Amino acid sequence: MAQEILRMEDITKIYDNGFVANKNVTFWLNENEILALVGENGAGKTTLMKVLFGLETPQTGQVFMNGEPVKILNTLDAIGKGIGMVHQHFMLIPSLTVAENVVLGVEPMKNGIFDFQAAVSMTDEVAKKYNFNIDPLAKVSDLSVGQMQKVEIMKVLIKGAHIIIMDEPTAVLTPQETEELFEQLILLRDSGHSIIFISHKLEEVKRICTRVTVLRHGYCLGSYELADMSEADISRLMVGRDVILKIEKEAPTVGKNIVSIRNLVKIDSTGKRVLDDISFDIHEGEVIGIAGVEGNGQSSLSDVLSGMDGFTSGTVTLNGQDIKGKTVHEIRETGLAYIPEDRMVYGCAGDMSIRDNIIADRYFRGEFKNGLFMKQKHIDEIVNQYIKDFEIACDDLKEPVRMLSGGNIQKVVVAREFTSGANFILANQPTRGIDVGAAEMIRKTIVRKSREEGTATLLISADLNEVLECSDRLLVMRKGKIVAAFPKANEVSEDVLGEYMLGIRTMTAEEMEGLL
Amino acid sequence: MNRTSKVEFTFELIRILVAVGIAYAIALITLFLVSDDPVFIIQQFVLGPFSSARRIGSIINQAVPFIFTGLCFCFMYAVNKFNLSGEGIFMFAGCVISYVAIKMVPNLPLPVMLILLLAVGALTGIVITMIPAWMDSKFGANIVVSSLMLNSILVFFTIYIVNYILRDTSIGYIGSYPLPDGAKLPTMLGKFRIQTSLFLAIIAVALVTILFYKMVFGYKMRVVGSNPQFARACGINMTGTIIAAQLIGGALAGMGGATEIMSNYDRFTWTASTQHGFDGLMVAVLARKNPLLVPIAALLLAYIRIGADVVNARGDIPVEFITVIQGIVILMVAADEFMGGIKKKMIYKAAADELSHEDKAKLTEGSVIEEKKED
Repeated sequence: MAQEILRMEDITKIYDNGFVANKNVTFWLNENEILALVGENGAGKTTLMKVLFGLETPQTGQVFMNGEPVKILNTLDAIGKGIGMVHQHFMLIPSLTVAENVVLGVEPMKNGIFDFQAAVSMTDEVAKKYNFNIDPLAKVSDLSVGQMQKVEIMKVLIKGAHIIIMDEPTAVLTPQETEELFEQLILLRDSGHSIIFISHKLEEVKRICTRVTVLRHGYCLGSYELADMSEADISRLMVGRDVILKIEKEAPTVGKNIVSIRNLVKIDSTGKRVLDDISFDIHEGEVIGIAGVEGNGQSSLSDVLSGMDGFTSGTVTLNGQDIKGKTVHEIRETGLAYIPEDRMVYGCAGDMSIRDNIIADRYFRGEFKNGLFMKQKHIDEIVNQYIKDFEIACDDLKEPVRMLSGGNIQKVVVAREFTSGANFILANQPTRGIDVGAAEMIRKTIVRKSREEGTATLLISADLNEVLECSDRLLVMRKGKIVAAFPKANEVSEDVLGEYMLGIRTMTAEEMEGLL
Repeated sequence: MNRTSKVEFTFELIRILVAVGIAYAIALITLFLVSDDPVFIIQQFVLGPFSSARRIGSIINQAVPFIFTGLCFCFMYAVNKFNLSGEGIFMFAGCVISYVAIKMVPNLPLPVMLILLLAVGALTGIVITMIPAWMDSKFGANIVVSSLMLNSILVFFTIYIVNYILRDTSIGYIGSYPLPDGAKLPTMLGKFRIQTSLFLAIIAVALVTILFYKMVFGYKMRVVGSNPQFARACGINMTGTIIAAQLIGGALAGMGGATEIMSNYDRFTWTASTQHGFDGLMVAVLARKNPLLVPIAALLLAYIRIGADVVNARGDIPVEFITVIQGIVILMVAADEFMGGIKKKMIYKAAADELSHEDKAKLTEGSVIEEKKED
């Protein structure tokens, strides 16, 4: 019987807005194991780990370490108790070297001054011990994402952590980098560390973990030996049904050009070419997917197309009209619907009602106003219809949007954008962080609108499964360029895609001929 | 309403009442400490404002300018611009309408004069507010600083006009020539002596409420104020909306200054800032930028003020200490996190209650989960 080193008993965490993130969750970790913590987005995995790492205080519950009850007051306390967390979003200082980043918090000092040499040798020591192939003198800003993650892990190790929490470590990695990470994790396990591996990629979980704890809607459904479980078993536990990863769709009936992008260049304030000579078309009736590791220009592309930000050179036309210098309002009137990446910042006004959020892009249309006044009754009727159509779970149309769950907030956003009458939908991460049911509804609607109404769609997503399933043509972006184009997204394998995303392979202009 | 919104609503109400209650308690304790005859003074302070028809009338009359400036700050507030020029506008608009009435059109009959002077007051407010609003949108000049500086300029400009243009040297104090009769609003209801400008204030509240909640412009304004990034992504004209809202606010402050002079004065005699603007800010904060609540907040403030006056006249307590009470009320109402701990506990409890009703077994079944909210 493996030695139990950590137990979290009966944890309940309620946030200030009344959202119950964890409900009486009990969870334990054995010595020398990689435990998978799985669940959909919003199931409470991250919250539970934040509680363990001292970032959140639970309302009830007790943490035991080696059988002793402990109280984790804050992150320093957690680190002192040997718990380390590798966050999903890296917390590194790009302008400093690897060594300086690694020793942050435990800086070696000589005569009251930071001892850089000692920092380098400390970093080297950890790197050798755990087989991290990384140069302590390299600047973090020059590293790849995979290498940055290694720096994060080294940061945790140098502080003496023996329990390491990894929050969706593979979300930002290419398949090749993921392989490397797994070797590393197994090495760490064998050298006496225990790892909590948060993921919702089941094949990864199956590969490197021995045990899995499943959360759903804040509840812990139990812990299971992975040897007895198939991926389908776990997925049923996670979402309460078999996930349908395939979206049934017929071949697109491609019509005329809706969006045409030619030699688009955007140079940001630091002089970096965030969009580097991009050209492609989006036609009536097709969904174009953009895959790529995040931060390779997808957000800039979305900002340019939506009119939220300008560009340096090139032309972009929507329905035959040049959008250069046009306001967001004018572009929307030309035929744009826009699902922004960050729904709480750009997608809705949290304190305003569902009704007020839904009419935000169309309140000025004759249909909704009577001279200077709003047609309240007519608006209410339409909004109520949308609430029904999009299955928005709410009390009524006056409920402030911030009181809804993430999935329902996104449904409010898409209820607005999908019904705006636009023939071009720009969907940037439309299903990020929302429950499977809502995500599926949104994906299906995107495909259905393209097939039935001939909408042109640009789908930017970090979820490979999503771009592969929903898109017709698929483009890959890397460092502001289009580096690959595929005619049929659902025939592309994730491995091949990963090679293009990472820059191992690049298509030549001839190869992409006719696919842009 | 779901449970969280119910908690939030109940809580907001309780919080304001408690804030006012605490401020009152502190006032009463202070009275006990500094007065020789505290029981009498407390009675005067609490009941004094209602002791005569005249005083009840005074509460209402004092509330009228607070309503105008309170509405003014509802607009500034709604678009998240702390344009404080309402303070200077109130005084300057009073001066401008006095000038117009005395020097330009002294012989107009009351109704015509009223409409003209209100228009002049509003126009003055619009022109003045334009300055900080434009500087903010064009140059990013900090609107708090620019509007405060502007207030100083307006105060001294007003003093200049009174001293060198309007001054009646035949009287023993600084003041303008007498205002023409056509520029004086009558009082009504006999002993109560309530100003007829009350009607103007009520109309203003009604119009502003309609503008806020029924009109396209009000909707735009609320979206911009609630989340500017979202407004931008939806293509709402931000700059135009923000500036227009401030101009309407300025117009209301200007009309407030105009009605105040027309209701209460025979001559224009202001030589220092009247504080009506800042009182309006306080009213807007108390009313949580809801125009419909502005009259209530204004009456509350006026009631405290009259109470202070009564105490001041009858007892041994200086009027200044009332300012301390106001400060405490505003501090507590404005501090969002005041009693926040209790609010959180209420929300946790409501959520926990809900949990106990929820059937965990339902979730563990392999079947399709019902579409339900997670909160």
